[in-house]
Amino acid sequence: MRKIACVAILISVALLASHTVIPVRAQQDQAQQSGAQPSPDAATLTPPPAYTPLPKGAPPAEDTPAQREAIARWKAKAEQATESDRKAHNSLVTPAYNFHYGPKNPYTPGNITVQGQGFIQPGAFPSAEYCGTCHQEAYKQWRQALHSNAFRTPFYRTSVNLLIRDKTRGIAFARFCDSCHNPIGVLGAALTEDSRVDRARFDADGLTCTTCHSVLSLDSTNGNASVQMGVPSALVDENGNRIPGEVPFDMILRHPERHSQAVMHDFLHKPEFCAACHKANLPAALNDYKFIRAFTAFDEWQQSKFSQRNPLTFYTADFTTCQGCHMKRNAITLPDYGAKNGTLVSHRWLAGNTAVPFYYGFDEQLKKTIEFLRTGNYLNVDIFAIEKPGATKLIAPLGNVSFNLAPSEDLEAYVVIQNKNIGHSLIPEVRDLYEAWVEFTVKDADGKEIYHSGFLKPDGLLDPRAHSFTNRPVTNEGNFVDNHKVWTIHSVAYDNSVQAGRSVLVRYQFRMPADVNGSVTVTAKVNYRHLRQSYLNNIFGKDDHPAYPIVEIASRTRVLKIGENKPEPAEPMDNADWMRWNNLGISLLDQFQYMEAVQAFNEVVKLRPTYAEGYTNIGLTEIVWEKYDSARKAISKALSIDPNSARATYYDGLLQRRAGNTEREIADFRKVVEMFPQSRDARRELGITYYQKNDNKAALEQFQALQQIDPDDLAAHYNLSILYRRMGKKEEAAEQQAMFIDKKVDPGAPTYSLNYLRIHPEIAIESIPWHIHSDRVEQTPGPQNGK
Amino acid sequence: MTYPAKLVERAQRMRRLVTISLLFLGLTANCQAKNNCPWINEATASGLLGGGAVGDFTDASGGQPAVCTFTQTGAGFTRTLRITVEVTPGTHARLQAAAQACGKNSAPIQAIGNEAAMCALDNRNAGQGELVVGRVRDQLFTITLSTTLKDDPILTRMALKDKAYTASEQVAGNLF
Repeated sequence: MRKIACVAILISVALLASHTVIPVRAQQDQAQQSGAQPSPDAATLTPPPAYTPLPKGAPPAEDTPAQREAIARWKAKAEQATESDRKAHNSLVTPAYNFHYGPKNPYTPGNITVQGQGFIQPGAFPSAEYCGTCHQEAYKQWRQALHSNAFRTPFYRTSVNLLIRDKTRGIAFARFCDSCHNPIGVLGAALTEDSRVDRARFDADGLTCTTCHSVLSLDSTNGNASVQMGVPSALVDENGNRIPGEVPFDMILRHPERHSQAVMHDFLHKPEFCAACHKANLPAALNDYKFIRAFTAFDEWQQSKFSQRNPLTFYTADFTTCQGCHMKRNAITLPDYGAKNGTLVSHRWLAGNTAVPFYYGFDEQLKKTIEFLRTGNYLNVDIFAIEKPGATKLIAPLGNVSFNLAPSEDLEAYVVIQNKNIGHSLIPEVRDLYEAWVEFTVKDADGKEIYHSGFLKPDGLLDPRAHSFTNRPVTNEGNFVDNHKVWTIHSVAYDNSVQAGRSVLVRYQFRMPADVNGSVTVTAKVNYRHLRQSYLNNIFGKDDHPAYPIVEIASRTRVLKIGENKPEPAEPMDNADWMRWNNLGISLLDQFQYMEAVQAFNEVVKLRPTYAEGYTNIGLTEIVWEKYDSARKAISKALSIDPNSARATYYDGLLQRRAGNTEREIADFRKVVEMFPQSRDARRELGITYYQKNDNKAALEQFQALQQIDPDDLAAHYNLSILYRRMGKKEEAAEQQAMFIDKKVDPGAPTYSLNYLRIHPEIAIESIPWHIHSDRVEQTPGPQNGK
Repeated sequence: MTYPAKLVERAQRMRRLVTISLLFLGLTANCQAKNNCPWINEATASGLLGGGAVGDFTDASGGQPAVCTFTQTGAGFTRTLRITVEVTPGTHARLQAAAQACGKNSAPIQAIGNEAAMCALDNRNAGQGELVVGRVRDQLFTITLSTTLKDDPILTRMALKDKAYTASEQVAGNLF
């Protein structure tokens, strides 16, 4: 009897919690509510209802009084049902919920919030199949994409489970990760020890249609899911008021403009929207330590040439957003009423993840991902030069100069890898798990290997001495943070990622065999694997998974003759010689080889005497090198060629400061700010200038503007805390001071890095910007692959 | 000392109300007791079984696997979701054997754990069911989803497959 009563109560509560007035769902629930098997096609969808779009420019349909009345009735009923469902849901889940961060912070450490009071019931989110009925192409793409698989994959679950199982953390801490990976679960109170929530559908759907399309506003560009989720709605009424939940398709098809108003916001087209989750920091609430920057593809984009917000980029390009690369418009193959002229913006979000489609057998997604990585001219690989020991001159640029090679010679090859057209770093984001590296081979005429760096060992692990575009996060005990246990990160031993638009010089030293004849073939490739083999081993067990795809993103081969080599024609993808020298200069600058960088930039201006940027590059290198007099000459030359160069003007501002010409300094920085209002560097420098001039009001204005662009800028926090204090704004000053202390690098952190590097001599050299990879392998002790 | 009849009646009504409330609260507390199944919660299991399910968990001991059992009982029928998990060497071979024992209709399923197979269960007890055998590293799991109804309107043959897949995704996800 007791059991029956108990079951009856549970059934009632479950029915109440899942109750909805929407009949459309009832048609589809049977097949889809529990989450379907991964379906690469849209076969599970019901056919779309008939729809004839209005002619272009035609006014929206005019409703009859009866139709208006019907919508109003529907809205009232939907609002009532959604609200009562929400109340019932909250009554069910709140008593058992772990408010680890207090009742006012139910979603902390994530930044996500939701419209209205309390948790929101997962049933409030229309299913992907509901949306997919009219958007079959988008549904099909989404089902294979990373967003729909943001939660359920073993690659994610392994990491988040470690956090959940950690004795000092627990599931409440997983709200940090799941705010982006499973927001419906977070907002629905599923992330608690005694969860009362049916997880089947939202676990399987991750970021479903109505997560992105229900966001009402972006709270900031702080990342960590800093959005406000609205109560999902597929339609607004004639007054623009949102109608919660699913509505009958005929209502939408009669008023597609109202559907757009409900689900499409301008910010969906902007990089700031992507920043909500593609920017992350590890807050003290998660790590009990302090703010640590995790990744920020958004800021990398903002600082790249594609944003047109940064005057200091080495090259320029047309404005391109995240969506411009990752949501390109393609022809549709399935019915989709959101298509325009037979095309739809991609809901595959093609990027670098080959592991998920490989695991799920999403062959089309995998194929397109590989194509994406290989196309787009994202990287340029240049076997740029050869250096012989004792020689005074570099043999460069290869292909354009004559030289001789002989057996038994020691050679050093300069390989310049340019991050040419990626709008963020190589590798972006979770670079402790992703793996991109340079594979460099030298083979004789018979194909016999003379030198090989960046090979895979028989166990699938990467040659630990490979040049890898990775980083090495470490704990406070100097141990490598394996398995993405981000809450234990205290420092980064090194970070060899290449920022957008920049280049890296990788040097390889090898000896030509005594018996070599004919020619040798030198090849440099940039390979990419998602994910690092040791991480795959951690997930599936060593030797217990297939080899995951390795994609060659870009490569270049040169055949070098033993004896005389003459100039040869460039290949179509080769950069022009001036750019090759420029990229060498950029990479040398980043490796603190200032003299050699200036020499390289001098070659640029020899080849392009009217290229103002070449002189600016000389000037900026000399500023960093603290050779201000010659820097002035170079910058003046740049400005004489291009008086409106914001970049040269910026560096002129720095030089004017050095010379004590405050008014000219201000004029320079103001000019740059006028041309690039979102230049964080110009705002920062102008703020500092005003601050030094005791013009507090003007300084405040600049630092506040800087904080709008980059909420984590340390100079802004520091100076604003002083300026607010001077103004008597004690609370604001204290807040800025606290943020400065939290965000600045822990002075003890380098010790953790050094502890790690000391016990890993096999890769310690990678932490030195200027280093050589050599075939003279010294047998050094230490675990493999940084572990 | 006597009390007015109206007051007594009101007090008795109040006592009844309190008793009922306490009973209700007691029941509620009981049926919402913390669910200990580590791989799937009661609400999710209830969703898969088509109604309120009651869960039971027995931890592994003495070489026996850990077991979660969720049952949903109705008029003349019982729907059951049973999950077993054990850590054991040679999981691949054991999985193969279990899949083979399932008969010819056993089929591998992609993207569940390291590997998994699914098959329909015999209708020996006039009902029907679906079995998943899978593993995550060295953890072998089985999932049995069954109904005693021959023509269950909720757990149809197709629904059994879908729901068994969902259950296995939940279980494997929590075993990673």
